Amino acid sequence: MAATRRLQKELNDIRQSGLKSFRDIQVDESNILTWQGLIVPDNPPYNKGAFRIEINFPAEYPFKPPKISFKTKIYHPNIDEKGQVCLPIISAENWKPATKTDQVIQALVALVNDPEPEHPLRAELAEEFLKDRKKFSKNAEEFTKKHSEKRPTD
Amino acid sequence: MSSTEPSQNKTWELSLYELHRTPQEVITDATEIAVSPRSLHSELMCPICLDMLKKTMTTKECLHRFCNDCIITALRSGNKECPTCRKKLVSKRSLRPDPNFDLLISKIYPSRDEYEAHQERLLTKLSMSHSQASLVNSITEGIKLQSQNRPQRSRKNHEDNSNTSNSNGNNTENAQNGSTGTVPAAPKDGTSTTGIPTPSGQSTSNPASVRSTPSPVPSNISSVSKNTSTTKRAKSILTSERSEESESSDGRTEGENSMDTEGEGEPLNPNEIELVFKPHPTEMTGDNQLMRALRDSSVRYLKTTANASVDHLSKYLAMRLTLDLDAELPEAYRLLNFCIYVAPAPGQFVPLAGSQTLRQINDKFWKVNKPLEMYYSWKKT
Repeated sequence: MAATRRLQKELNDIRQSGLKSFRDIQVDESNILTWQGLIVPDNPPYNKGAFRIEINFPAEYPFKPPKISFKTKIYHPNIDEKGQVCLPIISAENWKPATKTDQVIQALVALVNDPEPEHPLRAELAEEFLKDRKKFSKNAEEFTKKHSEKRPTD
Repeated sequence: MSSTEPSQNKTWELSLYELHRTPQEVITDATEIAVSPRSLHSELMCPICLDMLKKTMTTKECLHRFCNDCIITALRSGNKECPTCRKKLVSKRSLRPDPNFDLLISKIYPSRDEYEAHQERLLTKLSMSHSQASLVNSITEGIKLQSQNRPQRSRKNHEDNSNTSNSNGNNTENAQNGSTGTVPAAPKDGTSTTGIPTPSGQSTSNPASVRSTPSPVPSNISSVSKNTSTTKRAKSILTSERSEESESSDGRTEGENSMDTEGEGEPLNPNEIELVFKPHPTEMTGDNQLMRALRDSSVRYLKTTANASVDHLSKYLAMRLTLDLDAELPEAYRLLNFCIYVAPAPGQFVPLAGSQTLRQINDKFWKVNKPLEMYYSWKKT
């Protein structure tokens, strides 16, 4: 399958590149279409924890975009309670087969670090983010401390 | 006309590189320009399969390159746009073959098959090393789990050990000390006696007395009965393997020859066991011709299947030694019979029942990762 071969290459490239913000990539040997990994944001209020995500590639990859969902709860205007995330680069109308997974991950890390309240998935959080940043930061930090995973030490 | 001078209504989607690029000077002298493999690779790579371009096709409008197969699949999959920049691609007629580019690749990589084979090896090696890393992880997890369950199991072994070692008679004390040494988990509970689960209040006294004072009954008898009871079970397991061996006597001798191979440093197959064979230091001190000969041929290193039993080993020894010593030995010594011991601790020799397999012995007496140490003595029958 064409998807398998390309994903193998992408996985190796990403593992070798040693990204600090996306680590602990786990892929079941029998199914390379599902990846799990740890998003490690740099910006407050999310720099107090790490967030596990799952990337699901369709069998038609790279002609169809992958889907990303958060396994760790996160207080974020662009990520809803179910872990769904609105990431333009992998939306059906924007997807290009030439887009590589490391670009997708970089876009995701950027979105986590800097929320985009202009196209929110959770309007109430976007409003809080825009109108009372202090309160938002406090809430998000507490939520992060309570629900997120431990950050890798090295 | 519009291609030389972009009109107002035509928007060019140029990358930063395209906006800033300037014409290259033609190189006329012997100047060489080094290009890193990485940037070269990104130039020659198909953005769909991430392999090197094969039968290059170039989009006529936006000039992006793809493998013929890849771009055809892309168009068939319903996206009628350039996979790199999403410009409309009506059909195959929006593409043109690019033989010049194929030629360029074949100049840079004259042996493309070799290059691809190399890439393939690299890829499998990388994914191997990663799955190995995760294998190591799961093994350490497993060891952790096992060590949680271990105390119980090793206590059982401990019991067996002390029973069999009784047959050594006068050095029981020694043997028991040794056997506790080989079972690292047991002393965790303080003395091993407290570790033995006993119902109600009678607790430690009973097992302790059994262990510390050798029974008045000749210890041989008790150990023999013990041995036979444990080996009966083993025998029934072994029967299939043994009958198989007796069926093909040719295969058997072959197998025994292969015992002689010394394989050190090679990765050990889990079904193989390495062992060191030495003459028993105390029982082999007799000063007749045979004993001398045996002592001289002394240490042997073997690697053999873990299914081999003690009987197999002693037959092997008899055959091997008879062959080796043939010239020196009188007829009377032709049929040799050996008693085989394992030495779980220095100075401690546990005689082994004939039907025990090497795997059983290894699991029971020898938990460390080095060749099993065994001793043989000549048995007068």
